[in-house]
Amino acid sequence: MKAGISTKVQVQDLACFGGSRTFAEPKSTSSLAQPDFDNFLQYSKKFFDRQHYTNNGVLAKMLEERLAEFHGARHCVAFCSGFWGLVLAMTTLALKGKTEIIMPSLTYRRMADIAAWTRLKPRFCEVNKSTLAPTRQTVGECINAETALIVAVHPIVNCCDIEGIVKLGQERGIPVLFDSVESVYEATNAGKVGGFGDAECFSMHASKLLNGFEGGYITTNNSELAHRLALLRTYGFEGQDNCVFAGGLNAKLNEVHAAMALANLDELEQLVTDNRQRYRCYQAGLAGISGIRLLEFDETSKTSYKNIVVELLDNWPLKRDETVAILNAENILARAYYSPPLHQKQMSYPHIPATLEVTDYLARRFMLMPCGAFVTCDDIDRIIMLLKYIKSNGVEIARRFAETESR
Amino acid sequence: MKSCDFAVLGGTATFEKMLPVGQLYFPSWDRYEVAMRGIFDRRYYTNQGPLVLQLEAKLQEFLDVKHVICVTNATIGLMMAAEAMELTGKVVLPSFTFLASAQSLSWTGIEPVFCDIDPVTHQIDIAKIDELLDDQVSGIMGVNLWGGACDPVALEKFAQARNLKLYFDSAHAFGCEVEHQKIARFGSIEVFSFHATKVLSATEGGCLCTNDDALATRLRNIRSSYGAGKPVPVVKTSNGRMSEAQAAIALLSLEDFPQNQQKNETLYHIYEDRLKHIPGIKLVKPAGVTFSNYQYLVCEVDECNFGLSRESLIAVLKAENVNARRYFYPGVHRSVGYINNQTEQIDSLPVTDELCATCIQLPVGALVDSDDVITICELIDKCQRNADHLKIHFAGQDI
Repeated sequence: MKAGISTKVQVQDLACFGGSRTFAEPKSTSSLAQPDFDNFLQYSKKFFDRQHYTNNGVLAKMLEERLAEFHGARHCVAFCSGFWGLVLAMTTLALKGKTEIIMPSLTYRRMADIAAWTRLKPRFCEVNKSTLAPTRQTVGECINAETALIVAVHPIVNCCDIEGIVKLGQERGIPVLFDSVESVYEATNAGKVGGFGDAECFSMHASKLLNGFEGGYITTNNSELAHRLALLRTYGFEGQDNCVFAGGLNAKLNEVHAAMALANLDELEQLVTDNRQRYRCYQAGLAGISGIRLLEFDETSKTSYKNIVVELLDNWPLKRDETVAILNAENILARAYYSPPLHQKQMSYPHIPATLEVTDYLARRFMLMPCGAFVTCDDIDRIIMLLKYIKSNGVEIARRFAETESR
Repeated sequence: MKSCDFAVLGGTATFEKMLPVGQLYFPSWDRYEVAMRGIFDRRYYTNQGPLVLQLEAKLQEFLDVKHVICVTNATIGLMMAAEAMELTGKVVLPSFTFLASAQSLSWTGIEPVFCDIDPVTHQIDIAKIDELLDDQVSGIMGVNLWGGACDPVALEKFAQARNLKLYFDSAHAFGCEVEHQKIARFGSIEVFSFHATKVLSATEGGCLCTNDDALATRLRNIRSSYGAGKPVPVVKTSNGRMSEAQAAIALLSLEDFPQNQQKNETLYHIYEDRLKHIPGIKLVKPAGVTFSNYQYLVCEVDECNFGLSRESLIAVLKAENVNARRYFYPGVHRSVGYINNQTEQIDSLPVTDELCATCIQLPVGALVDSDDVITICELIDKCQRNADHLKIHFAGQDI
């Protein structure tokens, strides 16, 4: 599909105004990495031959061992999703008798719902303006007598203040759980993500760096915690008929999903290399457009180069949401970065209302750009050309938007 | 056969490999490969993909119900159901069920109230529900057990008359029929399990069935935003999504359902035929259904007539590589998380206690054939005839 971009000589050529789309197939922000099929089959053969399809099977165990090693953590516990892994880690780690859980507002749209399943009240903290992440200071401001747990979430690009928050938790006697869903491959001066705080949580949803169809895992150096989580994901059973922990459910990872994750784990280095190439294309292209700033990866440590996040600066001619709408119409599935932030959403479960000016400001400015297996450097060139067109014709596009709205 | 042949007494195990009790049907390797290649070709892995859509449509037709919502497992499905139905306070359910039935309530902030069961059918004793009701009870969770049914028609009338919400844990009941109609349409929601041990397998998985449009929309919103259709307000969402890989296996398993059901039924009848002569062993017939999936093979062991305790029989069978299990033990009301809440009522479920102490589950499903079943029945028969000898072995052992 070559039609589109070069023909956008006038504003009405934009798909949102009736022109043809830049891309025939959608370009999303999901990784959707696909491993070698034969390798996936080889892994599958292991559970197939054993006729053991779930319940702590050979592949789930192998995956846990490989991931613990990968992250340099003592234990890894796999789940059917990161969602339920987080729920179980939160209930297990939260200080008993306390009611609040500290988390950033500028984060995953279901994070407050996850806390609601644990019946702890989310208290939303601010983030740092340049890292988009919670810091020792922003988390510290939220600690009070009711604080049960700190959930420190890494932003989509780079990491949060790991050492500062870990130290804060230690000083105040509050457990720290890292949501490291977007930081699987990352490291900082302090070491590799996966071994910090009381535990770290990851996702293996197809959109994430490690695609296991659906799935998630927790890493921890705490043997007792790992043991408890491993049993809680299987109703609390330790052997047949022997339930030893209350508060369990079914959050087991099945063997087919484990096979997929293992096969993708084998190819992770290649995926990161491909991501870096895509990132370089964006880096080169966006350098030539004023008003739009690429959030750069900290390349002094290991990074996945997976997510492409841009900030629309004050001299960008359109609002962020208008820009997203224009791109979406072209089949460029750019997304607003964590907008609306959690504290601005309707919640009918207990929570602490918050006023967060920095978060509100940031939530209007950033967007995620297409990345992952479906995006080539040629695609990125076309996206860049379109952004250039939008920038050059911003006044005219804005006028048209205003006209459409006033009708 | 001499009594000293028993593996528990030092003899060789009858079976080389452990015979499991779960169904464990799975498509052939070739079909698995083709299905997975299809997913790789489409590069669509999850989020209400084409195979999940196809599975939901096929199940709607098969179960003759308006909405089927596929989920990652039945426990999370039950949690979503309680959430979507906005149940509050307390819910009545049998204690003679899998622990997850009650856990799904605890996760949604609801206190389970346990009801006793019928000694013959093993299903909830409807006559005993009234005495458990108070202002806080908002609903009833019926549990369709052992490939049978808990008289859902009577439960519907009962709940309606008392203005109580009603839904079903039908994890054991896929494909079963009440009055020649598939179980799936009763109450507000029915939840099925597609765990590997069930007659329909997605390795892990399940589905929710409802004829209520509004509930279906809420469930889809609670499951996740993908494929949610119309957004409607819900208290909280979850991740209950079924992947394309799970759906692919469930679709193949659905194709195989007739033959797998047939195999279970054949094995059931062999058990029936061979066990009926053994004193103290009573095979439980799937109750209240005109068609059963026969996915569970359950017997009651009467120690006096059989000559050995249920525990001793299990120990003998396990030593022979027959993974016989007590099922459900010790009963949800005596399990961690629930036992402390029940101090006053702990002894109010005599039938449940009796069956938790006497039931045994025997192998049936993909990894068991007719000859195996005959051998298992012979083993049980031999146990009965050599009970006195075996008893000496078990004397003083705390099992």
